[in-house]
Amino acid sequence: MAVSPLVDGLPNPAAKAVSSPLKNAASAQASSNGTPVPAVAPNATAAVQSAALDLSEQMNEDEKRKYIKGKKLGEGTYANVYLGQVRNDPSQLVAIKKIKINKEYTEGMSPDAVREIKHLQELDHPNIIKLHTVFSSKDQNLNLVLEFLPLGDLEILIKDTANVHYGVADTKAWMGMLTRAVWFCHENFVLHRDIKPNNLLIAADGEVKLADFGLARSFSDPYRPMTSNVITRWYRPPELLFGARHYSAAVDVWSVGLVFAELVMRAPYLAGNTELEQIELICKGVGTPTEENWPGVTKLPEYTIGNQITPVLGKDHYNALFGTVGNEGVDLLMKTLILDPRKRITARDMLKHPWWHKDPKPTRKKELPRKSGGEGGRK
Amino acid sequence: MHDTDSPPSSDCGPSLLPISPHYAMKCNSLAQKAISARLQSASPTTLCPSSSPGEELSLVTHYTVELLRAAAFIELPTEIRATAAIFLRRFYVTNSIMTYPPTELLKTCLFFGCKAEGHYMRLAKFADKFPNTTGEEVLAAEYILSQGIRFAFDVRHPFRALEGAIMELRRLGDFENKRIDRAHGKAREILKFSPLVTDAYFHYTPSQIMLAALAMADEGLVERMLGEAFAAQGDAAKDKCRDLIQACRAMLEKEPPEKMNDNEERKAIIKPLNRKLRKCRDPDRVDLVALQKARREQAMIKKPKLPVKEDGAVFGGSIADGRESKRRKTETEE
Repeated sequence: MAVSPLVDGLPNPAAKAVSSPLKNAASAQASSNGTPVPAVAPNATAAVQSAALDLSEQMNEDEKRKYIKGKKLGEGTYANVYLGQVRNDPSQLVAIKKIKINKEYTEGMSPDAVREIKHLQELDHPNIIKLHTVFSSKDQNLNLVLEFLPLGDLEILIKDTANVHYGVADTKAWMGMLTRAVWFCHENFVLHRDIKPNNLLIAADGEVKLADFGLARSFSDPYRPMTSNVITRWYRPPELLFGARHYSAAVDVWSVGLVFAELVMRAPYLAGNTELEQIELICKGVGTPTEENWPGVTKLPEYTIGNQITPVLGKDHYNALFGTVGNEGVDLLMKTLILDPRKRITARDMLKHPWWHKDPKPTRKKELPRKSGGEGGRK
Repeated sequence: MHDTDSPPSSDCGPSLLPISPHYAMKCNSLAQKAISARLQSASPTTLCPSSSPGEELSLVTHYTVELLRAAAFIELPTEIRATAAIFLRRFYVTNSIMTYPPTELLKTCLFFGCKAEGHYMRLAKFADKFPNTTGEEVLAAEYILSQGIRFAFDVRHPFRALEGAIMELRRLGDFENKRIDRAHGKAREILKFSPLVTDAYFHYTPSQIMLAALAMADEGLVERMLGEAFAAQGDAAKDKCRDLIQACRAMLEKEPPEKMNDNEERKAIIKPLNRKLRKCRDPDRVDLVALQKARREQAMIKKPKLPVKEDGAVFGGSIADGRESKRRKTETEE
């Protein structure tokens, strides 16, 4: 639970900042009892320029003053990210994500920011990016102080086939960290809804951290619809492609399965250019969703399949493509890619899967391969 | 906000905000000092009557009821009403009602409550539902509000817990359905009001609040549930839990749901307080739209514009252009 910081003392007593007019206070109070109050001209600028801070402004200032903002690390459409230092301990680095004011969005604080703050405030887990604090700066921009994760993301590692080499033990370590992160979200009734390799960031010690909660939401109540337009296409499960408005944590598990496949293949397993093509690729690469393998699927609003029906692919197919992770590894992968979300494995059951205990053991995080250009670690 | 005569500070649930009478007093006195100084400077002969912490609490409670009535009027879902009410009360833990006008804040709480619960309503459509209200006015306090609640946007409610308890009672099969249904309806009515206009959310967990409301509706049902839950443990644990529920219940009983529409009594108490409030509120923070503008202008003066650089590698994942449009869509659909 998010706990707000206590304000211990009043560093700058309000009255002092505007003390001179108070000289008259004593006589005024004695004489003007009961007289009607003359209107005081409102002056918003006076409020802004006044050195007096109210309690929540003080708390905000205290949070802001804990950090020193440094150079810009990157820029996106939704936010800029700066390197930051803890003022009392400059060796401690943080990332400060400053949410941009979106000129097109005239409805106040961006829903992405609201979602990200809402959920990250409440989630504290070694495999989920830590939100240290939030403060607003003078121009009313939101600043999220996040854990600094300098070693890139899983996508960089997967793509750099020339410089980065890794094996099953490494894949198992990364998958373990990802699965624990997703399990923790689900255990706390949060759907991430955007799991993909470039949202899996890597800390200085090699720990993988799930980031970007801009699309996250809490589990819906029964009967309350959700949008199906979430999760980056290549990682989007069939129920969302078919327009389901009621869905479960199984949507994230499908994405986890495709990250697993991509780690092994070093290329996205199902990379459709359109939603229709994505459905086609699922039919070919996993199997065609039908009433037989998924009761009720034909009633989903946007259910469409091609003319050809591919039966659900068996173990041979997966062994040929993903055999390097071993028999149990293939079994786990297949369970994450079960078409019917009700039969798909849960994150909790993934953690109980025998694959984790089979050889090879997962690589220790400090020994995991790192992106090229950085020092230390294996290449 | 903390009522000095409210009993519990036991080892009950974690409270989200560090509240104490000391804290509310500090907030109250801070506002008093600043505002009286400002009023004096404008007009040295003015007497500044200020609201006491107790009076402020009465006013906050009154405006929380007003918020709930407005939410009912525009037919918002239960969770959003509750979230908005808690936002308002949390806000006035660290802000004085003399500083920021509650009539404006309650609209902002409702609008932002919708956002926080993922229920995106168009600003213009929202503002239209209130007399003499523009979207600009609703938004003016959004930052003030989110800063005032320390960006804690997740509020856990007791409503789901109640559904669970009712299912559990049906499963036990010891009671007639009619009795369970009646208690279910009554407890739900209590939960939609009493915990939101008292400090219950600051002191108790959602399940404790739910059991207190259920006990108000039908004590026997709660006894049965406690018997079931503590069957394997000693009576000491059960008694401790029951004491907690009773303490919470005492708090809820101060504001029974019938009070929601009992305007006469409330108005009689509130009228003089409101009159006083009008005299002692911060003159510079009455117009929040102007305040917002002044803040923006101030920021513009200080900061030179930074050159825009193209850089795809952004911490937190690269944000492709296509994604922005996708998200826009998400917002309207949900």
